[in-house]
Amino acid sequence: MKIILEKELFDIKTYITNGGYNAIKKALTMTPQSVIDEVKKSNLRGRGGAGFPTGLKWSFIPKDKSQKYVVCNSDESEPGTFKDREIIHKNPHSIIEGMIIAGYAIGATKGYIYIRGEFVREARIIEKTIYEAKESGYLGKNILNSGFDFDITVVRGAGAYICGEETALLESIEGKQGKPRIKPPFPATKGLFSSPTVINNVETLAAVPYIMIMGGEKYSRIGKEKSSGTKLFSVSGPVNKPGVYEIELGLSFKDFLENYLMGMKDGVKLKAVIVGGSSVPVITADEAMKVNLDYESLSQAGTMLGSGGMIIIGDDQCMVEALYILARFYHHESCGQCTPCREGTGWIYKLLSEILSGKCKEKDIDLLYEIAENMMGRTICPLADALSMPVMSFVKKFRNEFDKHIEGSCEICQR
Amino acid sequence: MPKINVDGKDLIANDGESILNVCERNGIYIPRYCYHPSLSVAGNCRMCLVEIEKMPKLQTACSTIASEGMVVKTDSEKVRKARKDVLEFLLINHPLDCSICDQVGECFLQDYYFTYGLRKSRFKLENKNQKQKRREVGEYLVLDNERCILCTRCVRFSNEVTKTDELFVNSRGDRAFIDISPEKGVTNKYSLNIADICPVGAFTSKDFRFKQRVYMLQTTKSICTLCATGCKINIWHNNNTIYRITPEPNIYTNTWMCDDGRMNYKIVNSSERLTHSMINGTEYNKRQTVKQVFNKLSKAMDDKLRIAVVLSNYLSIEDNISLIYLAKNVLKTPYIFSIESNQQKIEDGILINSDKSPNSNGIKLLVKKYGIKDISEYAEYDIVIGFYEDIKNLRISPVKTILFSYKKSSYPCLIALKTYFETDGSFINWQGYLRKTAKVVNSPENTFDLHHFVMEVSHLFAVYPDFNFKGIIKDLKYKEEGQ
Amino acid sequence: MLGEKFKKNYKSIVEKFEKKESALISLLYEIQKENNYISDGDISELSSLIDMPYSRIKSVLTFYTMFNQKKTGKYHIQVCRNLSCSMSGARNIINFIKENLKINEHEVSDDGLFSYTTVECLGACGSSPVVMINDTYYENMDEKKLRELIDKLRKE
Repeated sequence: MKIILEKELFDIKTYITNGGYNAIKKALTMTPQSVIDEVKKSNLRGRGGAGFPTGLKWSFIPKDKSQKYVVCNSDESEPGTFKDREIIHKNPHSIIEGMIIAGYAIGATKGYIYIRGEFVREARIIEKTIYEAKESGYLGKNILNSGFDFDITVVRGAGAYICGEETALLESIEGKQGKPRIKPPFPATKGLFSSPTVINNVETLAAVPYIMIMGGEKYSRIGKEKSSGTKLFSVSGPVNKPGVYEIELGLSFKDFLENYLMGMKDGVKLKAVIVGGSSVPVITADEAMKVNLDYESLSQAGTMLGSGGMIIIGDDQCMVEALYILARFYHHESCGQCTPCREGTGWIYKLLSEILSGKCKEKDIDLLYEIAENMMGRTICPLADALSMPVMSFVKKFRNEFDKHIEGSCEICQR
Repeated sequence: MPKINVDGKDLIANDGESILNVCERNGIYIPRYCYHPSLSVAGNCRMCLVEIEKMPKLQTACSTIASEGMVVKTDSEKVRKARKDVLEFLLINHPLDCSICDQVGECFLQDYYFTYGLRKSRFKLENKNQKQKRREVGEYLVLDNERCILCTRCVRFSNEVTKTDELFVNSRGDRAFIDISPEKGVTNKYSLNIADICPVGAFTSKDFRFKQRVYMLQTTKSICTLCATGCKINIWHNNNTIYRITPEPNIYTNTWMCDDGRMNYKIVNSSERLTHSMINGTEYNKRQTVKQVFNKLSKAMDDKLRIAVVLSNYLSIEDNISLIYLAKNVLKTPYIFSIESNQQKIEDGILINSDKSPNSNGIKLLVKKYGIKDISEYAEYDIVIGFYEDIKNLRISPVKTILFSYKKSSYPCLIALKTYFETDGSFINWQGYLRKTAKVVNSPENTFDLHHFVMEVSHLFAVYPDFNFKGIIKDLKYKEEGQ
Repeated sequence: MLGEKFKKNYKSIVEKFEKKESALISLLYEIQKENNYISDGDISELSSLIDMPYSRIKSVLTFYTMFNQKKTGKYHIQVCRNLSCSMSGARNIINFIKENLKINEHEVSDDGLFSYTTVECLGACGSSPVVMINDTYYENMDEKKLRELIDKLRKE
């Protein structure tokens, strides 16, 4: 079933015709606390990658009258992830309506949408969408005569994956380098400009209007118990039908591959799957065929749902080269603040380029694994872990390919 | 006041205190680079990671606030491994500069390596990141970007203490490096504090560069005499030579010190230095000088000339007491004056005082005790005795002057003094604290302690002073630290 | 040197934001639009104009990769080099650019028209390989399409 991407609702007219902005109307008749309760009931979890329960996050905001903010994280830079872009193209008003409802729920009168710098066209779409909403009275002062004000400002990023991390994003809006903050304090207490702030992913906010309309309880019954609702998966790799899919959580990967992605391309066999964006541990083809696409099943299989950015890897791709490409990415994107990540990403990247070119010994593969272990859990933000997990899983599960590179006998690379 | 348990010991933390600070107060040392007690918390070096029960990941002690019931381990297996690993990460791109690096002997990397590291290098030399070395930064600093561990103490200092925003981090990842705002280039007057706080040899003092290994130096505590703030300092010396001055951080007067104060030791060996007293262009040794001055003064007294003695805010209490004695008991002249100093206040919001003399408050107390007048106008005196820095600003004909001085000048009668690096003296700073300088090096043979000079001259007048400096000072109303 | 257009527009950009610091990235884009890249001189001028320390502006400029610190071609080609694009032939596209436009990364072609860099994931992996030229995405690229595109741009 599809919720957010059921129809293509490009502008406000089609959005309203299909029930758009009824959710905010309903929310405004409820108390802010009831709105939060509704979202809690839905069991909606953050769709950006961390999977934190959304209602719970909203409930952390203090109930005083201080200035508060809703921030939409549209930084989408996790390799393999391109689902938020789809929402912006096909249903942008759901994001805006979600933000307004969130603002009402936590008592915020201002919202920011932080959109990655490369999404120039998408930023224009968002600006147009905000304009439309404002013109129709859904943004601005005294929305629908409720006494509730809400306004949204768009802030563009400028090429930094790390700005997808909540507090780095706030730093960027505050006109600084995107370096994650030490937590505690958390954004709910001290966020944007030191005020209580809720930061949610595009997809999370887009789901909110639908939750309000159908009711949290009904939403919670879609999908699985601890993985409620639908999730957008963006799939790339040698499958017949890559693209963005909205599916009910709990669907088996096998079903997904065969009946949605229409199987692997001719002549390519499934070798590995990165299920939720490059930062999650890789799983082998065999493991993939046994999992369901939900938080629990994937967590039990030793990986994570993450962002839902699925990269399918076929047997025509060398795993060592794949890991090298990812290491190059994290090395490039590390903000450089803390020692293990700044130095560790560089070390791993350099070591991998040597393993790739066959200039290494057996013990260097063990060293690679150890460096990844030594980076984990010791940094301000999880970027170091985001490299450690692929490194450790690739080395553990595809050790033979690494060994081949030591010997200089990788058939895939020699082609 | 939360109660926490650290390494089996029950400790009481202050409200809002970090684990690192509680431990520090109780004698438990936690290694750190980016943490500095006078700067904001950065938490980026990850060296202070400790184990806290019920928390799956290690936490940085500098940024974790102690809360009731916390159980902390600062020396467990996990913690020791983490320290080893963080050190290894810090060292992989660190250049092998030790043999030419001034930081040796006070380098956090070296010290921690020997205590917590001791792992053989596993990183290939040819893969080390290369960055700019030997960058001149302002008048006093040299920056080596390769040695830098990006703790950002320097950036935080320039943002938070001097508020001059000259330093910043350029780029990201392991390409990041400390950079300088070009127009300013660290021209603030506190730049050398950055060399102090830099835990490695990235920021070093140009003045101290290559001069001496730190472990060859002794430190002696003293005070700075360049302004009324009177910062507490450490003088580093060896073999009768001063090599550098650093501040002695304290809660009463100063955490830092200004660059001018640090450079003040150069007066000792300056080419401008008076090594002999100079009278009418001729150099005299001590005995001759005493004789010459005695003759002049004795003749002046016979001729009933008007002799004035001017106290100096630049000189110690002891020296000023002896000047008062000279005037009252030897020359028997009523013309004793003091000079009003600039209003005392910190003029830049940090340390530099608008009163550029170190002892105005000391003299004020003496003035009160002995009932001495201000020299409000230069009147007609036949001989004026005083300190060069004071008298040179008054419109008095040089031929009338007998001046004490460190520096050469064109004034005809200059009595060479020891500097306060070469003798001790008591001073009262702008806050009212009484402190002493300490003798650190030997002075040139023919220079005087002023009170000793007065004693010698007195003897020739058959007056035999018995200076009870301690007694007199004790009666003055000054502040004690901790009051 | 900051251009005339920027000096006319910058105030309205700053006004769009609650706090002027949030305008920094937008202001830098605006300078880049007019000047092609952002120089040290531009930063000094901007620093006086909006009363923000040079160090702050430069630290932001050098942190974010979409700001050009040196001149680029009229058409700045950015080729994604991340996993999905690499698996679908990004390398061929890069080789094509190198051989046909005769430039290496960060270099400008002799006629000043083209420059290229490799970039990280552009967020359109399902239609890889993805190439971004100035502000526009070109998806499902291959050598043929790129050749046609370059020819078209040359004629403009």
